[in-house]
Amino acid sequence: MVAVVRRNPTAVMLLLALAWPAVELVLPLRFHIAGSLRTVFIFAILALGLNVVSGFTGLLNLGIAAFMAIGAYAFGILTCDTYPFQIGFWPALLLTLIIGAMAGFLLGAPTIRLRGDYLAIVTLGFGEIVQDVLKNLQAITKGMQGINPLPSPTCCASGGGWTWRELQGGDHLSWYWLTLAILSVCVLAVRRLERSHIGRAWISVREDELASRAMGIRVDRVKLLAFATGASLAALSGALFASSLSSTGEPSNYDFQVSILALCIIIVGGIGSVAGVLIGSLVMIGFNSIVLVKVAEWMQEVGWSSTSNVLASPNNWKYLIFGVALVLMVRFRPQGLLPPTIEDDPAHDAPDEPGALR
Amino acid sequence: MSGAALRIEGVTVRFGGVVANESVSLEIPEHSIFAVIGPNGAGKTTLFNAVTGVHAPTAGEVYFFGERARLPVNAAVVARALLVGLLSGVGFFLSMNAQELWTATFDVPYVYGEPFDWMLGLEGFVGAAREVPFTMGALPAMIGLIIGSMTMLVLWSGSRGGSDVVARTGVARTFQNIRLFTEMSLVENVLVGMDYRLRTGFWSALLRLPQFGTERLAARRASIKLLRFVGLESRKAEAAGSLSYGHRRRLEIARALASDPRILLLDEPAAGMNPQEISELMELIRSLRDRGITVVLIEHHMKLVMGISDRIAVLQYGRKIAEGTPEEVRCNPRCVEAYLGADEGVA
Repeated sequence: MVAVVRRNPTAVMLLLALAWPAVELVLPLRFHIAGSLRTVFIFAILALGLNVVSGFTGLLNLGIAAFMAIGAYAFGILTCDTYPFQIGFWPALLLTLIIGAMAGFLLGAPTIRLRGDYLAIVTLGFGEIVQDVLKNLQAITKGMQGINPLPSPTCCASGGGWTWRELQGGDHLSWYWLTLAILSVCVLAVRRLERSHIGRAWISVREDELASRAMGIRVDRVKLLAFATGASLAALSGALFASSLSSTGEPSNYDFQVSILALCIIIVGGIGSVAGVLIGSLVMIGFNSIVLVKVAEWMQEVGWSSTSNVLASPNNWKYLIFGVALVLMVRFRPQGLLPPTIEDDPAHDAPDEPGALR
Repeated sequence: MSGAALRIEGVTVRFGGVVANESVSLEIPEHSIFAVIGPNGAGKTTLFNAVTGVHAPTAGEVYFFGERARLPVNAAVVARALLVGLLSGVGFFLSMNAQELWTATFDVPYVYGEPFDWMLGLEGFVGAAREVPFTMGALPAMIGLIIGSMTMLVLWSGSRGGSDVVARTGVARTFQNIRLFTEMSLVENVLVGMDYRLRTGFWSALLRLPQFGTERLAARRASIKLLRFVGLESRKAEAAGSLSYGHRRRLEIARALASDPRILLLDEPAAGMNPQEISELMELIRSLRDRGITVVLIEHHMKLVMGISDRIAVLQYGRKIAEGTPEEVRCNPRCVEAYLGADEGVA
């Protein structure tokens, strides 16, 4: 049992997520968290994108939230009825993926030669620029207002039987299934890339750029592909985020803090590990939008909360707890909760067959 | 020219005021083992780096089988540069006038709740685009065109002779300070060496198309064969970082061989090896030559160099001071003075 979990933590976690709504049925109402878990899933997709760029390829990207913003606004413009496009949820989601990839490509192409800190600074700047552009291009983005209302996805939803219809905002369980399904597809895609020569090239560039170039790897292309893939996943998460709120919200929803949060997720989970991304977003986002909220509710119930004393609100303790947790993490388990492991598929070995080596 | 696997013509490498190589010329015949020796700091590794495109030589040329490893200037390159220039020109134009153009194209013709008339939008766009003054329209577009295409060309010409291009012409190398991918397994290290020979791309990896599986299987078998060839098969799933020094050297050779090279450059392959390992290495290098690979090596270990080399070149202060068979070099007084005598006193 333990061995199975160790060998395939990603699948185990997704299966647990699959079983959770059933578990919730027997739990008291206080422990119902499926509605908030969709935020965890959405941020897991964002962190998955960052993991491709920073985890696999080793390009420190401090502006991943910019791509989330681009995804959210692209999705908003494509679906909101104050714009002429209104192409519907699924086509817009697909287009958002493409737009995100193009944005990643556009940022990557001129900056891909930069190394380490320099690239980090450029991506940091890009994050700020995108926010400013979104704020100031009022004719297109509605400025601080954000774009709303956004239509909900049309999909097979529960509630009065499983039917094909538009989700409502309060349709927590259906949102849960939808985001979980999209996350699972993303996880599958990233795992497949990771375990192919594409992922190998990404990781080899992280490990030793000079050596991988000397092995004939076109480093610039490899990096660009990672950038575009990561940006495209981040844009997808932005689109889902906006759709689940029915509004893109103001541009500062996608500020530097979001980029850092995504970075914390992959550091806590284990840089370069897909399973780590999942556990990291559960820990970080789960703490932020589930644990703190529930604790606040509970304190209100027992009468410990007070509006006059700022220390009585657990939300005000958030960054202290985050900070302490990160320091402890880096001190005692710097490789993350679920660091990447070396995988081997001996099933494919039949080495005595002749002719394989040219 | 035929018969020379690698021809180095007057290669000079300067770093600022430091001259690392001064007009070095070598001709290395096919299917031979060629050693480059010389005291530390003589410019041996710099020569290797210049040959493999790590840094471009300040002067001189390198030919592999009579050809330079350099991407040719052709119509596709020019077309790509123009396309990038065009895109960035259009991008400059659109972003300088984003709000006006957007309003005229999408806001004005759109009546809430009614289907959008794309023709009206197009007319609006053309009308607004015409009204853009020169300084906001044509000028930035031209600047974008020039910046885009020039950047593209400059970047391209900077990388046209890079070490990835050299590797793709069939030249593999190892490094003096071993450079393995330490967090990857042995098999994966070798597979990276094989990477550029793989034909399937992003989408077949993502969608797991049938040809992807076939290729993956073949590549894995080939890499396990290579690991067996260097005697590391039993440790194939371990991280490369867990290997001992001698084993790392061998893994690096296996990784270099994975690219199916015609020329193999080994930078101090015997460093840190014990006598047993060195004689195994000599066997390995001989068997490589017998497989048709031209081996060029930098080495300080004289027993190995004298034992297996067909020809030897001696560098000192960045210049070639002698070249010949092991016997000739051994008897050359300049070499003995520069290197051999001081080092081991080989008789």
